[in-house]
Amino acid sequence: MNAPLISITGLTKRYGSFTAVDDVSLDVAAGSICGLLGPNGAGKTTTFKCLLGFAKTSAGTIAIEGAPLSPATFETVAYVPERATLYDNLTIAEHLTVYRRSYKHYDDARARELLALFDLDPRQRAEKLSKGMRTAVALTLAFSIRPRVLILDEPSSGLDPIHQRHVLDLMIDAAANGAAVLFSSHQVGQVERAADSVAIMNKGRLIVNSVIDELKTGEKIIEAVFAGPIPNLNGLANDPNILRIEQVGSTLRAVTREDSDAIAQRIFALHPRSIRTIDLNLEEIFMNAVSRDQA
Amino acid sequence: MPAIFTVDPRSGVPLYLQLIEQIKRAIALGTLAPGEQLPTVKALALELTVNPNTVARVYRELERDAVIDTSPGRGSFVRTDGAGHEARRAVADVARTAFEGAVREAKSLGLSRKETHELMARTIARWYETENDA
Repeated sequence: MNAPLISITGLTKRYGSFTAVDDVSLDVAAGSICGLLGPNGAGKTTTFKCLLGFAKTSAGTIAIEGAPLSPATFETVAYVPERATLYDNLTIAEHLTVYRRSYKHYDDARARELLALFDLDPRQRAEKLSKGMRTAVALTLAFSIRPRVLILDEPSSGLDPIHQRHVLDLMIDAAANGAAVLFSSHQVGQVERAADSVAIMNKGRLIVNSVIDELKTGEKIIEAVFAGPIPNLNGLANDPNILRIEQVGSTLRAVTREDSDAIAQRIFALHPRSIRTIDLNLEEIFMNAVSRDQA
Repeated sequence: MPAIFTVDPRSGVPLYLQLIEQIKRAIALGTLAPGEQLPTVKALALELTVNPNTVARVYRELERDAVIDTSPGRGSFVRTDGAGHEARRAVADVARTAFEGAVREAKSLGLSRKETHELMARTIARWYETENDA
C-alpha cells in the first residue's frame, strides 16, 4: 500500500449538542477505492463536507496528499455532491468552458469523451436536465480535471444501470492510474464490485473499516444442527473471534469475525448432527454490523 | 486472450479467490496456454469491473504459487517451465475445492461417513467406466 492521499484523523463534527460525526479516522491510499456505506443520517455527507473544508470541523485533522487543505488542494481534488450544483442558465458546453478556465489539468478531449459516454448533448441548458443527467454532468466535470483525489457522494443516483456501470469503470480507471477514490453509496453491490476497502458508518461513528476480501474471509456463519438439545458451549460465546451466537431449538448459529475454520472445529467437537459454513456477502455483513451497533 | 473470466461480486467468496480459481482452471484446461500473456491489471480490472488492487493481488498470489511470471514493464505470463506440472496442480486445486464442497455438503445434510463413502463410490463408478480408466 502507498501513502494515503486522503487522511482523516479523529474527525468530529458537532451541531450544538448533536454529534454528526464522532471521532472518525480513515485513510485512502493512492490506487485505492474506498466505499462508504451507512444508513441515512449516519454522517457520510457531513464527513465529505468536513473533508473538503465546506464545514468547519469540531475536532480532528484532514490531510489531502499529506498536506492540510489549501486553495491548491482543489487543483487535484474532484468532488461530486449528492445533488449536483450546476449553473441553471448555462449550457453543458459553457460549464466545460468554466472548468477550462478554472483548472490547470482540465482535459477538454476527455470531457467530450465523457459527455458522449453519458449520452449528453453539450448544447443543453442545465435547467432542462433530469437529476440523473445533472449527476452525469457533475461526473464529467469531475473526471475531466484528471484528479488525484476523488470524493463522490452517491455518484450514481438517478443514473440508469448502464451509466452506473460507466461510473464504476471511471473510478476503476482513475484508481488504476494512481488516484485515491472515496465514494458513498446505498448500493452495496457497487461497493462490492469497485472498492477494495469498505468503511461503514452508523450514528456518526465508523463501525467497520476493512479490506472487503478480508471481511468476507473472516465473517462467516457456522450453522450446526444437533440431534437433541444444544449442549453446553464451554465458553464459546466468549471467543473474541465470535461476533454473535444464536440458538433456536436444536440449531446453533455462530457469526465469526475471523478464523471460522478453528471455530467450526470447536463446534464440531460438540458432536452436531450436521455442520456447515455459510459465506456472507457485503450486504449481509453491512446489515449485521449496523444491527449489532444498534443493539 | 481466449479465456473468459466472470466473477460474482455479490458472492460471499472473496473476489480474489474467485479469480485465482478461474485462472488456474483456464490454465488447467489449456484455454490459457503456457507462455501466454495475461491482460494488464488495469485491463482486466476494467474488463470485469472490479477493483485494480483485487486483480493485482490475484497476480501476486499466482506468481507466489509459481503459476505465472511477472516482469516489470513486460507484463504477466503463464509460466512455461514445468507448465504441465503447474497445470496438473491447478487442476488438482480446482478439483479439490469442488470435492471438498461436495463432502462438506453431504456432511451438512447429516450423511454419515459410510453413506458419504458409498455415494462417492457410486459417483466414481458412474464417471470412470473401468478400473483402468486413467
